[in-house]
Amino acid sequence: MQILLSGQLLFAALVTGAVYVLVAFGLNLVYGTLRLLNVAHGEIVMVGAYTSFWLFTLAHISPLISLFAAIALAAALGAAIYLGLVRRLFASPRLLQRLEANSLLLFFAFSIVLQNVAALLFQPTPRAYQYLDRVIQLGNASVTENRLVILIVAVVLCIAIILFLRLHIYGLAIKALIQHREAASVVGIDVEKVQLLSFCLGFGLAALAGSLLSMTEQISPFMGFPYTIAAFVVVILGGLGNLVGGMVASLLLGVIETYGVAFTSSSLRSVLIYGIFILVLMIRPQGLLGSRMIVR
Amino acid sequence: MTGKLLAGAAFGVALALSQASFAADPVKIGFSIAKTGLFAAGTGSQWDTYQLWKDEVNARGGLDVKGVKRPIEFDWYDDQSDPGKTVQIYEKLITDDKVDLLLAPWGTPMHIAVAGVLERYHFPMIGDSAASSKLRDIKPGNIWFTTAVMPDRFAPAVAAALKANGVKQVAVLTAQLPFSLEVKSYLMPALEKAGIPVKVNEEYPPAIKDMTALLTNVKNAAPDAVLVFSYPSDTAVYMKQARELGIAAPFQFVMIGVTDDWFLKQFGAAADGIVTMGHWTPERKEWPKGKPFFDAYEAKYHEAPDYLDAALAYMSCEILEQAVAKAGLDKDALRQVIATDTFETINGPVKFEGVQNVITPPGLLQIQGTKMELIWPPDFATAKFKPKPAWPAN
Amino acid sequence: MRRPLALAAWLGLIAAAVLVPPLLGDYGVAVALSLAMWVALAESWIVLSGMTGYVSLGHAVFYGLGAYVGVLLWNTVPSGFAIIAAGIASGGFAVIIGYPALRVRGPYFVMLTFGVAELVKYVVIDLEAGLGVFSRLILGGPSVIVLYYVMLCLAAAATAITFLVGRSRFGYALRAIRENEAAAETIGIAVGRFKLAAFALSAVIPGMVGAVAVARSTYFEPLSAFDPVVSFTMVTMAVIGGSDDLRGPLLGAAFLVGLSELLWANAPQIYMIILGVLLAIFVLFAPEGIAGRLFVPARRAVS
Repeated sequence: MQILLSGQLLFAALVTGAVYVLVAFGLNLVYGTLRLLNVAHGEIVMVGAYTSFWLFTLAHISPLISLFAAIALAAALGAAIYLGLVRRLFASPRLLQRLEANSLLLFFAFSIVLQNVAALLFQPTPRAYQYLDRVIQLGNASVTENRLVILIVAVVLCIAIILFLRLHIYGLAIKALIQHREAASVVGIDVEKVQLLSFCLGFGLAALAGSLLSMTEQISPFMGFPYTIAAFVVVILGGLGNLVGGMVASLLLGVIETYGVAFTSSSLRSVLIYGIFILVLMIRPQGLLGSRMIVR
Repeated sequence: MTGKLLAGAAFGVALALSQASFAADPVKIGFSIAKTGLFAAGTGSQWDTYQLWKDEVNARGGLDVKGVKRPIEFDWYDDQSDPGKTVQIYEKLITDDKVDLLLAPWGTPMHIAVAGVLERYHFPMIGDSAASSKLRDIKPGNIWFTTAVMPDRFAPAVAAALKANGVKQVAVLTAQLPFSLEVKSYLMPALEKAGIPVKVNEEYPPAIKDMTALLTNVKNAAPDAVLVFSYPSDTAVYMKQARELGIAAPFQFVMIGVTDDWFLKQFGAAADGIVTMGHWTPERKEWPKGKPFFDAYEAKYHEAPDYLDAALAYMSCEILEQAVAKAGLDKDALRQVIATDTFETINGPVKFEGVQNVITPPGLLQIQGTKMELIWPPDFATAKFKPKPAWPAN
Repeated sequence: MRRPLALAAWLGLIAAAVLVPPLLGDYGVAVALSLAMWVALAESWIVLSGMTGYVSLGHAVFYGLGAYVGVLLWNTVPSGFAIIAAGIASGGFAVIIGYPALRVRGPYFVMLTFGVAELVKYVVIDLEAGLGVFSRLILGGPSVIVLYYVMLCLAAAATAITFLVGRSRFGYALRAIRENEAAAETIGIAVGRFKLAAFALSAVIPGMVGAVAVARSTYFEPLSAFDPVVSFTMVTMAVIGGSDDLRGPLLGAAFLVGLSELLWANAPQIYMIILGVLLAIFVLFAPEGIAGRLFVPARRAVS
């Protein structure tokens, strides 16, 4: 029982939560503003991870710098996808009628393409590199530096995003779009522009997550899918389109997962996570923290 | 657009066929391998080994078929990590492509799935990367396994090695996947017999990302040995987090992934002292074919061969080559020779009884510095077990 | 189907399917077996998802459960009984899970079905590990030809069910739910019961297919049996073929199986990339699928 009080477990819970924040936020943003189910989200994480891996391996560029390159690359990819494909979804009333299902299939197609292009270019063999992997002591917990960096970046990102949504004009526009879609254009928000922006931002954030995770995870063309799933679990828990709810849910899931496993058994980890996921969907589809309004 | 694509594909196939017909009577060898799906990440070294063997044989003038040298031509398909698809492919290879010989697919599920096809068409094949005592339920006669780590032989070897190296208590962590669970099921009674108590005994689901809770338990129990029956992705998780938590057991066994080249590259000094599953080494003088294989592989791919998968794949190729030299391509003659002869391989002599290799002993490898040493069984060892040094600080 | 021509085409198709083993040889049977399997799965899928618009991304759960029940019963009861039991188990599970699940709509339902399939997969993994079983084998199963005819019957049954449902009042009610669930309820359609019936109906055949497929691969292991790729493939085939058209899954399955025979062989990644591109093209430019494109006037006449 004493292990439950250890700093080690708390740190693990926080890092797991931080990874969930990083991975889930972009997905939630894209759903909230555009009602698109981006199941290729994990593949963008993969693109970010490869970007940092190659820049580190070939040019010895720190992932903390190359993450900007990864964000830029993913945002450009996002812009291309938005202008080339997503706009078509919105342009056709027939497709718009079942936007979620159609976007799901479209992004599923995109994820297959990305995975296999990566497999063709980079081989399916997993890769990794060492960076910031010293172990340091924090209180009674020992901590690998790169995991600490992930935690810190996630916290900074959360604060930055909350401020952006409250203070910046585009942040306010995004929030308006999420909450009152129809009214947003009436009050003079350039919906098209805001959608493009948040789509690119969502992709960029996924790549940021990938860059950071490349320090701690095995990088492979097929690494993305589990992150897509994790992101969806978090987003459902927090409420689809509920950005702050998603942050709280990330932390909550990290805690539930880490302590739940410590209380019971590791073999129950996946059952625990999917069990919660399903229960929330059945009982409170608006999310643990959401209000009924968001569910249509 | 599809029309054009299909026409293009058809043209490509036609071109390939017409080129092939110019070559002098090649021997067609078929196999499937997972290039996409669940297992794709693990099949690289087997693929590379097959290619290496083919190139070597063709450089020698071709495969010796009862005295006649004929070039080897591969006929392979992606099985998409799907046992059902694998069955379909081997049927196609035998009945439609009419291949002369077969090589094995990758992975235990695929081998089991294919065994039925081989039985139906009486087509002999030598398996490689498969190990399960269940394989013995398969009717012998058309499939044989070169591996020496059948769970019921491997687990007692682990227990014996622990006892011989003075281990008093162990922690056992097991991925919930068929092979690891099976090894564990044979290990528990073996440990009890050896009088080694199990302090921590936990299972975890495949694709686990964080082992902190598990490893905190292990750390608190402070055993002399940690045995992790893992697959490549959780192998990496264990390595990172055991180092983070400073798991200090002198005997740390991690099952799958360690023998592959990426492991040492990725973990460097942290890998020093890790024990793993394997029974081959290029270093033993008594296995003179080992070193040339190692060197050829390294020269071609600029990395060390996987001590388990690549070695097993090469062994099956060697056995097939020797059997064909003696028996030719006739299936009955081939079956007879494989079932009764003793073959010289990179892993020493191999002889089959029923479906399994009865000469090669199950073993343990240990990374010492940057070298892979065979540390078990004692008669074959290239080095003695050395306790794992403390994890490096960076 | 009103015209004799269509009837003749269907009969011709069945005759051709029956004649596959004597005409096409062993490999032809193997391909036809996998084609029949996908037709059975995709036809079943549209009974729920094509007609009601409740997109299930977790139909692998029924296939996997069927495979599990099938492998458990294989050598203990006659194989026909094992297959039927697998269908009943899957249908029963659909009723239990459908009751709460079908109250959830849109993207939530999509994710819920996916989550249920994953949950069941991990429960089975835990269960098998707890039982000390690591994988299960079927030794001495029936021949490919026998399995092919069984699978063909399942494909025909699934197609017949879709046909009958599609033309019945039940089918019209399901489509009314898809177009506007609230309105359907107001005009007196027992929405809850109808959805549940469609869900169960779409689960039975995949369960039976799972039991036959496991006899075919001779091997059961939860990670492969509940592989989400099975669910994704069903959806892809139905969408490419046309998801509210009897002929859709047939065309989609034939198209993908054919494409894979042509391309997957030596260029697996290229095959997957082409598959992805095609799916995107169909979603964007031909959401009505191959069937919708090919049979525009016929379709209008029916609906």
